[in-house]
This record gives sequence, structure tokens and C-alpha cells, in this order.
Amino acid sequence: MTAIETAAAPARRLEWQLAEVREIVVETPRVKSLLLHLNSWRGHLPGQHVDIRLTGDDGYQAQRSYSIASPPEDELLALTVELVDDGEVSPYLIDDLRIGDRFELRGPIGGYFVWTVATRGPLWLLAGGSGIAPLMAMLRHRARRKVRAPALLLYSSRSLEDVIYREELDAMMRRDPDLRVVNTLTRKQPEGWTGHRGRIDKALLAEAGFPPAQNPKVYVCGPTPLVEDVSRLLVELGHDPLTIKTERFGPTGG
Amino acid sequence: MEEAPISRGFRSRRPEQTTKNRVPPGQYVTTDFPVLSAGPTPQIKLENWTFALQFGGSLLGKWNWAEFEVLPQTMIKTDIHCVTKWSKLDTTWQGVTFDDLLKAVGAAKPAAAYVMAHSEGDYTTNLPVADLVAGQGMVATRYEGLPIPPAHGGPARLLVPHLYFWKSAKWVRRLRFMEKDERGFWESLGYHNYGDPWKEQRYDGD
Amino acid sequence: MTEKGLDFVLDGNAAAGLLQEIFALDITAAQIQCEACGSTMAVGSLRLYAASMGAVLRCTHCDRIVMRAVHTPHGRWLEMAGAGCVRF
Repeated sequence: MTAIETAAAPARRLEWQLAEVREIVVETPRVKSLLLHLNSWRGHLPGQHVDIRLTGDDGYQAQRSYSIASPPEDELLALTVELVDDGEVSPYLIDDLRIGDRFELRGPIGGYFVWTVATRGPLWLLAGGSGIAPLMAMLRHRARRKVRAPALLLYSSRSLEDVIYREELDAMMRRDPDLRVVNTLTRKQPEGWTGHRGRIDKALLAEAGFPPAQNPKVYVCGPTPLVEDVSRLLVELGHDPLTIKTERFGPTGG
Repeated sequence: MEEAPISRGFRSRRPEQTTKNRVPPGQYVTTDFPVLSAGPTPQIKLENWTFALQFGGSLLGKWNWAEFEVLPQTMIKTDIHCVTKWSKLDTTWQGVTFDDLLKAVGAAKPAAAYVMAHSEGDYTTNLPVADLVAGQGMVATRYEGLPIPPAHGGPARLLVPHLYFWKSAKWVRRLRFMEKDERGFWESLGYHNYGDPWKEQRYDGD
Repeated sequence: MTEKGLDFVLDGNAAAGLLQEIFALDITAAQIQCEACGSTMAVGSLRLYAASMGAVLRCTHCDRIVMRAVHTPHGRWLEMAGAGCVRF
């Protein structure tokens, strides 16, 4: 390996610190957002994540990563957690955790899957399920900074009641004519649903999305199979792979 | 070292252990069968599969699938222990023991003291031959009576259940005898060279 | 590691916590060259395997290993034999 240039700013040293639960928001029947206070939080970039660590009184430890859903402009750090059946950590966070509880957390982590308003060009976000979390940090940041460049969120959920942040996204769209949110519902659609059904496919990407010529910055986040399918289709549609950033959540969406 | 703060009410969700003497220290019993791989799952066609025993430049034996299937088959029920802390009890496997492989190539004794298992792709793991003989090791082709799924190492994987499961190399293609021990994939990156779960030998230095 | 203990392929970005213990600079945004095929890509976009044992990061073009890392109680291990230049 050859010599390393050291032009970039140093990453912050990652230390475990205690996060205190200040608020719990029920987003959908299976999803909650935890709003956390940290004593020595030095800020983050939209898209970054944290590691959390839980320790039982028998010494058993479990560690997981969660994307930060809040923008850097917010005082409390938001993690959006989906209940995974037979999961080890999410049932604790969803069913047992109470306001005032504390757990260890370190971050922010990951300078790769990041977007800020300093980045030019159209913003194209594609999410599956709880993959919306880091993308919501980006959209909330964009809304707070009142940036007007075009943005599109293409969001795949099982049913309408599973669409996380639905009212907030509707409100964002109403306030911001440069933001489009397109939902597709894969398993169940309400009566009279005129929106899209089924998975994100090539036709939907071509119809609703930015064409390659507009050179959007693309972020895809969700279960690994969705992320891989969508990335592949985007490349087939002519998007430059270097403009597509992915965050795979593994099989279950995080 | 400071103790990590306790998270109120958090405990392992893994099933209660009623079989404590079968579970090595630091392990938790699971009913799942987690998949852990260092690379993409290879899609190996049986008609292209071969397995070999090798020593230095010479091939001691090589089998295609049909030939391998007619070797003496052994079934075992055993517990398996992953270094990531899950243990799975009473798993059943079928395959060809290391002893029967040696017999098949007419070797009265092993060619050398150590073996490096080579898998499809770049995965390797090293073992003392002493831990493969006397029924301790096999090349398994069935799990729970069915062909081993690709994600779990099919069509054939090494099975050495008395050591941490990273030693049971998935997608095994050859066993190479070595006179001197050499470290394999995980062993050369901080994991223990031997890996006895009962001594909790997870990492180099344990 | 994902919730159900299933270790599907992830992005290099998911190894950022482990790598940030080792590198003073944020390596996930760095560009790394694959020694095997010569392609250059962001570390965060490498394909990450075996996240529960450490990190095995593979080239997105040829799937060869570019970097491996493990955190043990006795020290952190890093191997970058599959990498050429890294540009931060």
C-alpha cells in the first residue's frame, strides 16, 4: 500500500456515551422513534448512523446500528426502530424501553452515505420500509435549511399504515413545491388507492424518477434485496453507478 | 476495565438454557441457524463439483459428486458452536468422515500433522489432523436429512463440531496436508489458532 | 449485525464503526483501489460480509477482498493486502 494523503479533517474518536430517552413517538403499529439526549454530542451529518449497546444484568451484550433520523438542526437525536419478530434488540426498544431509560451509544458513524444542502443537484431518495430513516434525516435537514433544489422520495411500504412519517411527509410536500413523495404499497392498498402498487420496478423508476441527464444524487436504503434490485435497475436506466449510494439494512430492514 | 452500564430490563431473548452442561461458556442457545459468510454464496453445480486430498504437489485422492456419494456415509447428531456466541443443539448431519477419506485413498496414516481446508472462493481454515481423525471430522453433504442449502455451505462442507464453527469450512473443495501449521482466513486476522469453545478460545491471545 | 443474526451482504459504510476505531480519518468516504482489478471505489460502497465477526470488504467489480478487519479483546487487526492506494 502506498502512502496516505492526510488532507481530510480527522474523524472524531468514537467513544461510548450514555443516551437518555426523552421522548418516544409511535410512528406505525410496528415502528417507534426514540428521541435521545446525549451530554457530549458533537453533531452529525444527515445519513450517518450510530451504534447502540445494551447490557443485561447477566452481562449479556447486544450491539446494533441504527440510522439517525433527525437532522443536525434538532436538539434531540432520533432513532427510528422497526419491531423485528424474534429480534433481540428491537423488541426491547419497542416494547420495554421507557422515558428516562438510558443505553450506550456511539457515533456519529459513516461519512460515505451522507447528503447535506451543500451538495448541488437534484436529490433522489429511494426507501424500503425502515430504510426511510437516514433519508428522513436528509429531508428534514433540507426542509430546515429551506433549500429549493428538486427532491424526490420514492418510498416502498407494505401498506398505508406502514408508511413511516406519513403525515410529516405530506406536510413537507404541501409546504415545498420542489419536493415530490411517491409511495408504492406492496402488500395491501386501501380502497380507492390510486397510487402505485407492488415493488419499485423499472417502469416506476422511469416514470417518476429524474432522468440520468439531470444527474441526480441518488440514495437507496432498505432491505438488501430491494437495494440491490433498485440499484441494478437504475444503472440499466442509464444512471452512473458512481452517483448512486446504497445502504443495505440486511434481510429485514434494520 | 470499567463495566458497561446495565440497560434496565434488557435480557437475552434466546431460549432458556435447560441444557447448561452442553453449552460452552459465553454461548447462548438458538433455534435459528444463522448464516455467516465471508463472501458471496457460491452457486456450485454438482456436475462440476470435485473434492480432493492433497499433499505438497501430489493429489492423494479426488472425487466427483457421484464418486463421493458412494463412499461410506456416516450420520451424526451433534451440537455446534459459533464464535459469535450462538450454539445450536442436536443438529444432524451426514457425510464422509475424515477416517473414511484416508481409507479410501489407501493411506494407513495421515500424510502430515496439519491440514488446511480450502473452500470455493478464498476461504481457508487450518486444523491439526489429530482433531479430524477418530470420527471428529467429516465432509458433510446432508443437514437434517436434506442436501445442505448453499447458504449453509452446500453441496459439501467440513464439519468439525468440537471446535468453533468457523473451522467447519463451508463449500470445502480440498484438504491440503501441511507439515507445518499455517494460519487460515480468520486465524490470520486475530482469531484463535485452535478454537476450543470449552476453553473459550475465540481470539488469538485467549 | 442485523437483527435476526442473519449476515447478509451490507455496505462498507456499515463497517464504519469498526474502521473508525482504527483509522484517524473517516475511511468510509475514502477512495480505495482494488489490487486485483484496479477499480477504484469508496470504502463505504464496498460489499461488506461477515459483519458479526469483523469486516470482510470486497470489491464491487470483481468481488475480491480489498480489506479485512477484526476487533478482538486483545487488539484490532487490519489487513489491506487486496488494496492498492487509499485516498482520503
